[in-house]
Formats: sequence, structure tokens, C-alpha cells
Amino acid sequence: MNTRPNIPDPDGFYAALVAANEGLDVESSALLMARLALLLANQIGDQRVLLDALDAARSSLPR
Amino acid sequence: MTDMAMGGYALPKYPFREPPEIAAGTPSRHPIVIVGGGLAGLAAACDLASRGVASVLLDEDDTIGVRGASSRGIVYAQKTLEFFARVGIYERVREKGVMWSKGKTLAGHDVVYEFDMTTATPSVQPPFINLQQFYIEWFLVDRIGEIGRTDLRWKNRVCAALDRGDHVRLTVETPAGNYEIDADWVIDASGLHSVVRDGFGLDPRSAGKTPDRWCICDVRFKKPLPIERWTWIEAPFNENRAVWQHLMGDSVWRMDFQMAPDADPDAVSRPEVAAERMRRQLGSDVEFELVWVGPYAYRSHCLESFRHKRTFFIGDAAHVMSPFGARGGNSGIQDAENLAWKLAMVLAGHADERLLDTYDIERRAAAQANIQVTDRTARFLAPRSKAERIIRDAVISLARQYEFARPMVNTGRLSVPNVYPDSPAVRGPGTSVQNVPITVDGRETTLSQLARSLDTCFLAIVFGEAATDADGLARTLAAIDASARPIRVFACGLALPGLPTIGDPQGKLARALGLGAERSRMPIALIRPDLYLAALIPAGTASELLALADRALGAAAVVRSEA
Repeated sequence: MNTRPNIPDPDGFYAALVAANEGLDVESSALLMARLALLLANQIGDQRVLLDALDAARSSLPR
Repeated sequence: MTDMAMGGYALPKYPFREPPEIAAGTPSRHPIVIVGGGLAGLAAACDLASRGVASVLLDEDDTIGVRGASSRGIVYAQKTLEFFARVGIYERVREKGVMWSKGKTLAGHDVVYEFDMTTATPSVQPPFINLQQFYIEWFLVDRIGEIGRTDLRWKNRVCAALDRGDHVRLTVETPAGNYEIDADWVIDASGLHSVVRDGFGLDPRSAGKTPDRWCICDVRFKKPLPIERWTWIEAPFNENRAVWQHLMGDSVWRMDFQMAPDADPDAVSRPEVAAERMRRQLGSDVEFELVWVGPYAYRSHCLESFRHKRTFFIGDAAHVMSPFGARGGNSGIQDAENLAWKLAMVLAGHADERLLDTYDIERRAAAQANIQVTDRTARFLAPRSKAERIIRDAVISLARQYEFARPMVNTGRLSVPNVYPDSPAVRGPGTSVQNVPITVDGRETTLSQLARSLDTCFLAIVFGEAATDADGLARTLAAIDASARPIRVFACGLALPGLPTIGDPQGKLARALGLGAERSRMPIALIRPDLYLAALIPAGTASELLALADRALGAAAVVRSEA
């Protein structure tokens, strides 16, 4: 899993992510993020990287 | 309501005959007693009988089927169909059943994805045939009668089992009184509520969570529907819960409706309620007749060992899984097929009893794999939280648009032969060899017909090219073929003195074995009696072949071949 900066325009992507969620309630936003996760997972296509990313995403959340 | 009232099925009634032990007043002793005449138990008896092995089968009922003419397991997969071909009931299954290859998965009114499995299979048997379970059991009972080595005792209910070291004593209840019967080996195929298993204090570990509730409707229509497997993840006519639609024999359709978690099983299966559901699905103008209606709950469990001393557990007595993908009935039959040849070899003195341990190694691994696969389907169909439902909605919505998400839509992964881990009987991963057309000494046949024509033995097939100089290997292999070991040797693609030849004109045998260019280096395929590849020896040597065979057969092979 690559944890070094790899997004060419970080501010631009953050702004686009926020904009995509604009006006959505929490549930619709969760659906959007799930769709995004699945689309991105298919781009990565490497099971080990995907599982590492899942672990990393979950690690700081309450158990 | 009886099955006659609903569907017009009259299942056969088999006569009860007073067991000789009752008059004799003493237990009789038998090499093999099978408890339970469902799919798995009948398959075990039929396979053993076809291998020349006698058994006693005790069944508590006097007919086939469960709860009347319920369709139960309806999809029979290729490995099972190949088994049917080997034991001699395939033609009847093919004539009565329905072949299908197309499927659709729907959400709401849209097809999310569809598949067609008509892609050429090297097997003589198709990927699937649908048929009501009671027909399979019926054909097996008939076939067992034809072969004539099974003492099939109806209305014989086993009520206690006691392991006595070198045998198991079973207590049996009959209309004419109780009796005891001793068995060197017991095959327990008595299902979910096994008295034998519970009597030994063995507790199947529950692998499942909250059971999902469904209602089966077997139904006959005037208007024909397409011969395809349709699954709705979210059916508008079932309050957006799942529905299955599958054709079976006699133009009867199997409809499975997922119920609300708190649904009353009796209420949802009342005929008028079931009929109303059918009208919502098909329109009020469609004429239909309900054949059978009944509720059931999914669950899964698995025994920690499929062998307990002299008792083997097969089918639902050993493992229970959700029915997605038709893995229950098919795996019960494949349990029977895995065990029968091993018992046959041990009883014939061709193999050590240790061979029997590989039944647990191989089939418990298969059951665990099947439970994992079916639990994943169950979870896809019944999300356990709001968050989980959102993830599923994301998959379904993407699957409508994009191909990549369609493999994640999980309405059941259809039964395939399980891959076996390494055991003394297989150099893992052990894969099934399909029943391919071949010739033997120029005569057209199939791999399973060849296996059926021989005593229970390993097939060793050496591949090569006509010009190969292999006199030395040929002499050694011919000696193995002629030895007391249960191995018959064949040459494919080349003629070796003293050995029969197998022809593979369509290349399907090589394909089924995964053999490519290495064919010229004289690989030897060692195939088990259940048509699993025990090992593929890349550049064949007789010593490696012998080592593998002796690992499976143990000291018995060595002692006998030296005698």
C-alpha cells in the first residue's frame, strides 16, 4: 500500500470529493462513498493492497 | 394438506419386512450399515453396490422424499451427474430432468446481469440438470434393487448407537419390534437430526448466524416460462425481498420467496397466501396449480470430524449449509462417492484403514469451503445492518452500469467439484477429472464407463508420442498393472507392449487433466476411482507412481504385491 503522496492535485481532489457530497443526507453520502470505494478498488485490482487499505481505513475508528 | 391433494404426486411405498434378527433374538454382524435413505445414504449404498460391496441400509420411512413430494434439492451439478452416469441412473435423470444453462439476476424490474454456461465443457454430462430430489432418490432405490447387493430395510429407525471398539452396535425400532445389529463400519446419512451423531455426544458447531426464513412454492402453470434460472435480489412482488424461479421435471416450477425475518412460517405457507404471492408475481390472469408449499429456515453447521472411530458422517449429518448454489445435495452425494471407494478398497484388503481418514480430510475441507461460499451469499441477500445494505445497494447500482461490479452480485455460486487438500490419497491440490469421451483399444467409451467396467482401482494413464522409445518404462508399468495393487495402467498417444491403449481423439482427456506440451515427456496421470486426479507425475517414472499409490494404500499394497 502506497502511503506517500500520490494524488497530483490534493486540494483539487478534496474539493471535488466535498462537492460530490454536497446536498446529500448521511445515507446518500454513504452510498456515494461506497460506490466510489468499489470503483477505486477495481482500479487498484490488487487484493493485498485492498485489504491493507481496508485495515488502515478501519484502524482509527471505534471498534 | 397432503401431496396428493396439492400436486397429484403418488410417491412409491416400499414394503416393511420383518428383519431376521427379531426372530433370531441375536444381533447380526455386517461389514457396512448405512443409516438413512436420503440422497447421501442411497448414493453411498448404490456406489458400494456398484463396486460389489454389500451393505445394509436402514431407513425410518417407507417411501422416498421428505414431507411428501417437496422438491428439496433440485439442481444437480456436473460432478454429481457424472456420478449418476457411473452408477447407472444418468439416463433416467436426463430424460425426466430439465437441462438449463442460462440465468438472469434481477433487481426491481431490471436485469442486473445474465449468464450462459453453454460454453463447451469437455464432459459428456452438461453443467446442470434440474429435477425434484424425490425422483433422484426413486431412481437410486430402483438401481440399488437392480444391482441387488443392498439389504434395504424400510421402517427401520435407528434409536441408539454404541461404539464397541471393533464394531458399532445399533438399536433399531421397527413395527415388528426392536432389534440390534452390529456393523464393522457405519455410514451415518441420517441428516440434520442424527441420532447416531447425537448419541456419540458429537455437537456440530453452528457456523450460521440468524437464520434467514424462506417459503418454497412448487407450482405448475398453463403458460410456459423461459427455461432459465431467474433470481431477484429485490423482487417488487415480494416486498423487495429475494425470489428464485427455477424449472424442474414435469413442468413444475420451484419458486423460493425470502420472508421477512419476523414472518410466521405457518402463515406465509398457507395455500391461499402462497397463491396470492404467485398472482402478484405472474399477473392475475395466469392459471396455476400449487404442487407443494412449505417454509424453511437456513442454517449452517459442521462437525469437527467427519469420522468418529468406526462411524463416518455424510451429508446433512456432517454438515448443513444454506441452499444457495445447490451445494447441500450435491455435496452429500460427493461425500458418498468419496467414501465408497475407500471402504471398498479397505474391505477388499487392497488398502490400509488409514485410507479412510482421508475421507474426513477431503470432505470436511469441501464442507468448510461450501459453508463459506453459501454464507457469503446468504449475507449478500440479507444485509445485517443499514451500513451493510448501503454497500449492497452500491454494488447493485454499479452492476447496472458497469461490468466490473457484476461478479460481486451474489445470488449463489453454483456447485463445482471441491478441490481437495493434500492427503495420503491425493497430492494436493486435488481436482476432479471430468467424464470425457475416450476410446479404449479403439472402442468408444467415456472415462466413467471405463471406471465402471473395472474393479475399484486407480487408473494410471501414461501419455506420450508414437515414436517414443519406452520399452523399459513399459515393462515396469506392465508389471505394476499385473500386480495385486489396485492399479490399472493405460497408454495414451503411444503403444506400449502389454498395456491397453486409451485414445483421446478430441483432446478432451488432456484438457480435463490440464496437460499441455509436456505430453511428450511421458507424464503419468494417476486417477482415483471417484475420478479425482490423485497426482500428475510430469516426467513419468514408475517409482514415483508406486510411491504415490503406496502412500494411499499403505502397507496393504506392499504386503499383497510381495505375496
